[in-house]
Amino acid sequence: MRKQERRAIICVLIAAVLFSGIVIFGWRFVKHGSEWASFYGNTQIYTDGMINRGTVTDRNDEVLMECTKKGIFYNSDPSIRQATVHAVGDPKGNIATGAINVFKSQLIGYDILNGTYDTSSDGKKIKLTIDAKANKVAYDALYGRTGTVGVFNWKTGEIVCMVSTPAFDPAGDLPVDTESSYYFNNFLSGAMTPGSIFKLVTSAAVIDTLPNKDSFSFTCDGTNEYHGTDFTDVYAHGTVNFRSALAQSCNGAFGKLTREVGPETMKKYVDNLGLTKPIEINGIETAAGSFSFPSDNDVTLSWAGIGQAKDLVNPCSMMVYMGAIANEGKAVQPSLIKSATFVKELTGGKSLGKYLSEDTANELKSMMKNNVTSNYGEENFPGLDLYAKSGTAETGADTSEAWFVGFIDNNNSPYAFVVWVKDGGYGSQVAAPIARSVLNQLVD
Amino acid sequence: MLTIYILFVCIVSLLSTRVTPEVWGYFLVEDGGNYPITHWENVIGRAKSVDINIPLKTISNNQAILNRTKDRRWVFKDLGSKNGSEINGYRLKSEKSYYVNPGDEITMGGVHCTVAPASLEESRNNLFMREMDKGPVAPWKIMLAITVFQGLSIIQLIIGMGKEITLTALLSIVILSVVMWVYVGFFKSMRRRGFEMEMIAFFMTTINLTIMSSYNPADTLKQLVAALLGIGLMIVMCIYLRDLERTKKIRSTLIGLSVLLFAINLIFGTNKYGAANWIVIGGVSAQPSEIVKLALICIGAGTLEELYNRKNTIMYAGFAFFCVGCLAIMGDFGTALIFFATFLVVSFLRSGDLSRMILTIAGSGLMGLMVLRFKPYIASRFAVWGHVWDFANDQGYQQTRTMSFGAGGGLLGLGAGNGSLKNVAASNTDLVFGFVMEEWGFIIAVLMVLCIITLSLFAVISIVAGRSTFYTIGACGAATMFLVQTILNVFGALDLFPLTGVTFPFLSCGGTSMLASWAMLAYFKAADMRENASLAVRKED
Repeated sequence: MRKQERRAIICVLIAAVLFSGIVIFGWRFVKHGSEWASFYGNTQIYTDGMINRGTVTDRNDEVLMECTKKGIFYNSDPSIRQATVHAVGDPKGNIATGAINVFKSQLIGYDILNGTYDTSSDGKKIKLTIDAKANKVAYDALYGRTGTVGVFNWKTGEIVCMVSTPAFDPAGDLPVDTESSYYFNNFLSGAMTPGSIFKLVTSAAVIDTLPNKDSFSFTCDGTNEYHGTDFTDVYAHGTVNFRSALAQSCNGAFGKLTREVGPETMKKYVDNLGLTKPIEINGIETAAGSFSFPSDNDVTLSWAGIGQAKDLVNPCSMMVYMGAIANEGKAVQPSLIKSATFVKELTGGKSLGKYLSEDTANELKSMMKNNVTSNYGEENFPGLDLYAKSGTAETGADTSEAWFVGFIDNNNSPYAFVVWVKDGGYGSQVAAPIARSVLNQLVD
Repeated sequence: MLTIYILFVCIVSLLSTRVTPEVWGYFLVEDGGNYPITHWENVIGRAKSVDINIPLKTISNNQAILNRTKDRRWVFKDLGSKNGSEINGYRLKSEKSYYVNPGDEITMGGVHCTVAPASLEESRNNLFMREMDKGPVAPWKIMLAITVFQGLSIIQLIIGMGKEITLTALLSIVILSVVMWVYVGFFKSMRRRGFEMEMIAFFMTTINLTIMSSYNPADTLKQLVAALLGIGLMIVMCIYLRDLERTKKIRSTLIGLSVLLFAINLIFGTNKYGAANWIVIGGVSAQPSEIVKLALICIGAGTLEELYNRKNTIMYAGFAFFCVGCLAIMGDFGTALIFFATFLVVSFLRSGDLSRMILTIAGSGLMGLMVLRFKPYIASRFAVWGHVWDFANDQGYQQTRTMSFGAGGGLLGLGAGNGSLKNVAASNTDLVFGFVMEEWGFIIAVLMVLCIITLSLFAVISIVAGRSTFYTIGACGAATMFLVQTILNVFGALDLFPLTGVTFPFLSCGGTSMLASWAMLAYFKAADMRENASLAVRKED
């Protein structure tokens, strides 16, 4: 008998296998439960392959999308539908970063206690931070061109405007090709040549690391030949200092500044300013930018320092950097879901860390003001306390992409923005008016 | 809440069972050794692991067996020892049993020993110790809780299903409740105690009936009938198991019947859901393999003397391989695996031979590989194992639905009748864990698994005071069967193991499965040595 007693331990072992399996599953259940529950095969929450509950509104409770058992209904205004389609998502879920995909478990009202159980079976309401009207203004201002407009509150992190074009009407026929650029959100997932807006990055490095920056001087002849390569400018800027070089966006001067700063420091700055890592926005990861500063090729290094060469930047990360300059160097994490509490309003959004020292941020801020007053014209932006930098990225022999980035410091309207228009032309002429329209809509 | 209470009480009661071994007598050795005899079946020998360990060189490792008979006498049997044994100078034939009376001189390898009865004081002490043991919990409160639960689930079904629910389905749950009260009331009046195992089974059956009601209300009554037949069979088996000699004799009949059943199945078997393991007689379909499970355990269990009998072992191994072979031919590899695992565990309990067990596993592993080669649909199940989400619409369809709908149930469930998993094939059998998760919630689903674990652990605990290895091996074999079934069922549905399509004891729908689960409970009951607790143990006056 005693032998059998001992051998019976094998039953305990089998029971232990069963138990540990259940423990493993329990852990997976906690970790992946919401993902499993929102699986498209779950007919608790899907009708004909479309999610059947939940509502998405903008920050002012304007209904953008309503999922019901009868189908998905969008806002009645076609331009609002197109302006917000990338934020909200399409019925088939082809826009990877759309709310219908990424906030699915919130939409269906999943929680681990009750699962998808919902007494009203209407699902939950998600309030996005975006302003439908501002989105509409941005969409109209893009005027059919490919581009993106992003604006966020640099204190709270709330994204108030996020438009990407080409867009489509989610209530109409959907583009058949799921890989189509219509489904691509340039703001979150794009990475483009920054052109001159990158001079704000180089400037930060210059302010911190070149002690003789105040005595810097460069004479621009419009061609600025360096080792057989022309760093052409629109016109000859004459003799410029660091401050006026940024205002005039002098390529020759910034090529020289980049060389003085050196490749190692440049690399450190794109990392420190959050341009090479994805940013997380309520679970959505943005694309990361990429840069290359060769130590053995001064010409390529100079190009890289003025936002050309292999430089690629994500619009959202650029916007966050603008926010950091406005916010005394502190970067705030952007968000798309409006939180119900007022805590955020008071304490500010979640910090992404200090991108810049307060002094550096203030000096950049002053130089960006100088850009506006001496170049873009303060009178062109009435009512806006604007700080900005334009950019024109050369992406081919005859193609250029227009950029306009910056922020405003109006009372109660602390907004940082990024505008990018593909094949647009000059940044200050094409992208700046779009920024103006959107900001005016938001400030009003 | 109610569920947690019910199961908590049962589980705690069963697991906290402490059975004190009783002293039945003493084995006295001439050099002054005085060994208490605490089992009904004892091995005497030099080996450390035997029950009465006499460390003298002239004694064989396993010298002899000393058994207590039901009329409280002692039987001695030499196990073919090197130096032989004598009683009162009479040389014993090896492998033959002899009565031995207190005071008789037993000589083993030249050592003189004798059996002494337990003193009166000792007997009184036994009684006292038994009273100290934790008694079974009174069933009334648990039964009341189960009845309330049944009432609530009826209401829930009416709310959840609306007009789809039928009166007979609801009535089935009511009848189950009545049967539970009658069952307990009847045996309580016969001064029986200890109904925790039945309570667990009744509770799981209740959940099963709600699942059936939600899946297809028309079949709930059938399911109830199967459960009632199972309860009946359990009672019959319990009473039959009381008498060991009687049970031993019926085994050859069982072998014959099982072989016949499988033969019929092989010839007239109907293919349902990919395996030809069904027979349909007059509109009633049944799975013979479920019934043969019961026989396998009975045949595998053996008294201590039988464990030293080679013929008995070979017969058992032959029978087990016949069963596994038949199942493999039918294409029911999940059940074959259950039979095989049970066979392995029971063999190990019998012989303790780990190396042979490993060899058997290795050999069958090779056969398994052959199966994978020749049965592409099984190989494909292995192929998706671990990444069912990548095959969500073909090979991983069932598992992904199980997890998705199950997760949709959250911790508390959507309520009986509200689930959507019922539209997936085999949701009430192979995927029943997901079904429970969706309609009853994760907590109850896990508790169902804990119920099975509890029953199994109870079987192990009860060994300490087991009357015969027959009962303890039986209980452990039944426990293994329950455990392996649950492992294959739950792990298969949750992608922790390839989907095999076996049933979850008590919980899965299917008449034969339900009937077999209840009948299997008889083996657990037979090992329950708490005073008057078990139907399968004759009451002591």
